[in-house]
Amino acid sequence: MRHGYFRRRGAAARITARTYVAFVLVFLFAPLLIVVIVSFNPTPNMNLEAGLSLRWYEQVARDPLVVAAFGRTALAAVCTAVISAVLGLSGALGAVRLTRSRWRTAVFTIPLIPLAFPALLFGVGLATFYHAIGVGFSIWAVIAGHVILAMPFVFLIMGAALERFRFSLLEAARDLGAGTLTIFRTVTLPLLRPAILGAMFLSMAISVDEFVIAFFTAGSQQTLPLVLYGRINLGVNPGLNAIGSVLLVMTMALAFLAARSSVLELP
Amino acid sequence: MTLATAVLSRGVEDSLPPLRHRARERRGHISTAMLLAPPTIYFVLLFVVPLMVLIAYSFYTYQNFNFTAKLTLSNYAQALTNPALRDFYFRTLKIAFGVSIAVVAISYIFSHILMYILPRAKRILYFLVLVSLFGGYLVRIYAWRTMLGRDGVVNSFLVSTHVVSSPLSFLLNSNFAIVIALLNFLIPLGVLPIFSAMQNISPRLLEAAEDLGASRIRIVRTIVLPLTTRGIRAAFAFCFIATMAEWVTPQLLGGPLDQFVGNQILYEFGETLNWPLGAAIALTLIASVVVILGVIFGLLRLVTRS
Repeated sequence: MRHGYFRRRGAAARITARTYVAFVLVFLFAPLLIVVIVSFNPTPNMNLEAGLSLRWYEQVARDPLVVAAFGRTALAAVCTAVISAVLGLSGALGAVRLTRSRWRTAVFTIPLIPLAFPALLFGVGLATFYHAIGVGFSIWAVIAGHVILAMPFVFLIMGAALERFRFSLLEAARDLGAGTLTIFRTVTLPLLRPAILGAMFLSMAISVDEFVIAFFTAGSQQTLPLVLYGRINLGVNPGLNAIGSVLLVMTMALAFLAARSSVLELP
Repeated sequence: MTLATAVLSRGVEDSLPPLRHRARERRGHISTAMLLAPPTIYFVLLFVVPLMVLIAYSFYTYQNFNFTAKLTLSNYAQALTNPALRDFYFRTLKIAFGVSIAVVAISYIFSHILMYILPRAKRILYFLVLVSLFGGYLVRIYAWRTMLGRDGVVNSFLVSTHVVSSPLSFLLNSNFAIVIALLNFLIPLGVLPIFSAMQNISPRLLEAAEDLGASRIRIVRTIVLPLTTRGIRAAFAFCFIATMAEWVTPQLLGGPLDQFVGNQILYEFGETLNWPLGAAIALTLIASVVVILGVIFGLLRLVTRS
């Protein structure tokens, strides 16, 4: 397993390395753990001896604003996933048919632009766009923006899946007399199912977690991160940790599901 | 946004599916266009056009909390010459530089340890870093308020262990808090491209260098570093862009004097309703980011070549 380079590292070097890695990981996870721990704390102030309580979760669950925002977040996640899956799959199926390498490079490069593009710029751009065409801000305006963020991932995941796809199966189906639609329904779709599901879970995770686009385009139809933001500005309220934990669990669960569908492959 | 760095660092050419030469290609032209059309139209309509509209708005005239389609260059004049805005620029630039360099350094050491010192644990450790990416952008920033506040976790700990006699006030609403929070969400994004660049280095190359008697430092300097420059560039560029356009972190964790250019853009859009000026600042910002990155990478290329 282990190749020669650095094989002779001594115990001291390994201990230093382990300490460094541990420090970085603790630093990365500390804020997440704190939010979850404090959310189960019965007193408003951080107090680890006070025991556990679901008080803040009950308070948050009875809050109509939070419940409505939760519903909108779920709606945005599902719609983003469905729309970006359809568009991304369509694009990827078209892209793998291209034979000219110049076209292929363009088609696989352009979707990467929104990934590195600052959300702030895209957010204000969308806001001015909706203003210019006279469309009001709403959850649908947010979804339209989230699709732009999620579609590149779907496209890339689908492109990678199609790389392994055995196109000879389609020819076999055609030789056996199946029509284009039948082939798509009975061969292409079932074979691509894990990739499609994984891409949809990832899209949902992106949408649930997204804040900046929603901030500029949601108007009064706030999503969960927007409610969290609004209340942070109002001052510290322990219920916020419960909202934060719910958001955390949602995104992490979706990311985990996406990873299980072998989307987040380790290099 | 998150996995982008990995893709970018690997390079587009490497991640392209293989070319397929198929007999029926000619017949397929129409349906290929039909398949590519829906996402392309969507992309143009909701990404390209909005940016065009933003550019158009940046030339509009603002008057009395309203703006009209009378074209003017005064927004750009203001965006470029306003001395108060210049302070915002330099402050943001300073932090973006510092944070990006720190992220690259920390991520590089981290990836190097994973690859070459603790290789048996690298998969699980890398997976943990990936998982922390999904910790929620806003939740994470908010968490630092709980951690760094006057009655926060860090201060409680420091006071109860008698390291300090009274809570430290500089922890929150300060540059310190902003930098900590930025490092916290950017390190995974730095590790991603750098680690995947290191993964692509053939172990045989390192073995050969070692067999030929190169020291560890020499191996790092002459093989590992040159072969990971793409990853380093991607990590740096990503952190730099993200920090330059950041506004949530300074808003929630910084003091009134620590705000970024992004906060000024937000102010123009939300408070003064001077959208044309906000748009002009935003576009100047992205243009300056592109120029600065171009200059940095150009200089780096000159330095490494000589």
